[in-house]
Amino acid sequence: MTEEVHHLPLMTSDIILERRRNSRIVQTGVCLVLVALVAWSVQVTIIDDTDWERMGSFANVLEATNRFIGIDFALFKDLIVPTIETFMIACLGTLLGVIICIPAAWFGAMNITPFKPVTYPIARMMMTLSRSIHEIVWALFFVAVVGLGALPGIFAIAVRSVGFIAKMSAEAIEDIDPGPVEAIRSVGGNNLQVLIYAILPQILPQVLGVIIFEWEINIRRSAILGLVGAGGLGLVFFRQMNTFNYHGVMTVIIAVLGLILLGEAVSHRVRRSII
Amino acid sequence: MTILKVTDLHASYSTSGPEILKGITFEVEDNDFFAIIGPSGAGKSTLIRCINRLVEPSSGEIIFDDRNVTTLPRGELRMLRRDIGVIFQEFNLINRMSVMDNVLSGRLGYTGNLRTLFRAFPREDIDHGLRLLDRVGLIDHVDKRADELSGGQRQRVGIARALMQNPKMLLLDEPTSALDPKISREVMGLIKQMATELKVPCLCNIHDVQLATEFCNKIIGLQDGYMKFNGPTEDMNKEKLDEIYAMEVL
Repeated sequence: MTEEVHHLPLMTSDIILERRRNSRIVQTGVCLVLVALVAWSVQVTIIDDTDWERMGSFANVLEATNRFIGIDFALFKDLIVPTIETFMIACLGTLLGVIICIPAAWFGAMNITPFKPVTYPIARMMMTLSRSIHEIVWALFFVAVVGLGALPGIFAIAVRSVGFIAKMSAEAIEDIDPGPVEAIRSVGGNNLQVLIYAILPQILPQVLGVIIFEWEINIRRSAILGLVGAGGLGLVFFRQMNTFNYHGVMTVIIAVLGLILLGEAVSHRVRRSII
Repeated sequence: MTILKVTDLHASYSTSGPEILKGITFEVEDNDFFAIIGPSGAGKSTLIRCINRLVEPSSGEIIFDDRNVTTLPRGELRMLRRDIGVIFQEFNLINRMSVMDNVLSGRLGYTGNLRTLFRAFPREDIDHGLRLLDRVGLIDHVDKRADELSGGQRQRVGIARALMQNPKMLLLDEPTSALDPKISREVMGLIKQMATELKVPCLCNIHDVQLATEFCNKIIGLQDGYMKFNGPTEDMNKEKLDEIYAMEVL
């Protein structure tokens, strides 16, 4: 032990000062490069790319903003059905997503995947595909496949939900205590019995929490899917925007906000009661 | 009569990894309470787990109740496991289920998939479970969740679950090492009493030599995968113990 200490190079104030000088030079260099990058981005994307004439003076901007302030009460009765539709798209989409998640989570959990070299990559691919494509893109795809309406919205929500729910569920399965699994195997239980007795009870609270969380997010998602023709409030929003009825736009935004707050409140309460 | 015959058993966790069991041979008679002692890492748990193939042995022969365990196909292995009750060190209960459901899970080997799905166990199983819970002193805790119980109580649930199988043999993997000394003695006493009453032979991993000599009639001493002792408890003495535990640095 003591011998090793003697082999250390002798430290002097010169070495320490030299090191600090060097690191200051590097830090200054990095900062300068970052500032230059930001300045260049502002020049290219904001200064060159904005239609300054259309924007006009500051007063014009305020006036344009002001157009949105106000509520179109006449629109209320036309919002009831789309609001319910948005809510149902979120619910049915989440439910369908959960069903797709069952094989995805089963294949994607390293410790229970039936045939690792094949089933594990399949599950991982499903999860990545689901998450890396935006819900609007999924909706566009399904509108093209099955036509306009709530159905493509439900499909888009379902497919988009798989990534998160399946990944979290697979991780929950990988984290289980293997003791109960061993116990159920040792009484002569088969794979289904191991699943029902030893795995599900351990992951259920966590998975339910994730599903409810995803459902809450899906309400947000389904509110905009109408923009591409997949039903619900988004479609009304799109129409109000196209007819320049800015008060109507505001009314729809408030309806969306109300629905999301409702979802958040429900989600919060339910998750608290199961965890 | 011999219920279990193990011949030249070898086991390792991976083909390239170190061998955990290096040629173990012994026999369990149908009235034995057999102890397996030895320092940590000697292979006690692996040996217990090889008997019902929770761990696959790499070579050797295990004959249980006239069946060759090592060559049984999956389905028949499940049938065999029904006849061997296991009591675990960490209890291995299903925490979010009730005490009764945990005890009933001992019958899963006899329960179809549809009944499993709806937890629809037949009345005689429920009666049997209640009798066992009464015997282990938990009749007041039938509806409690398993994680509400103390350590000693949980192991009693573990005992009831194993006996629910109507086993022909019990495997005990350090059944008391998660418990304090007083509770340990009570739990060992209960296991011994139930085993004698139901005429079930036991094979018990235990690192507490005192408890082993007190409750068991035969002892196997393992050290680093080798069997250093195999004989009746009376033949065990200080020198042999010192040899078995020689590798443990104190």
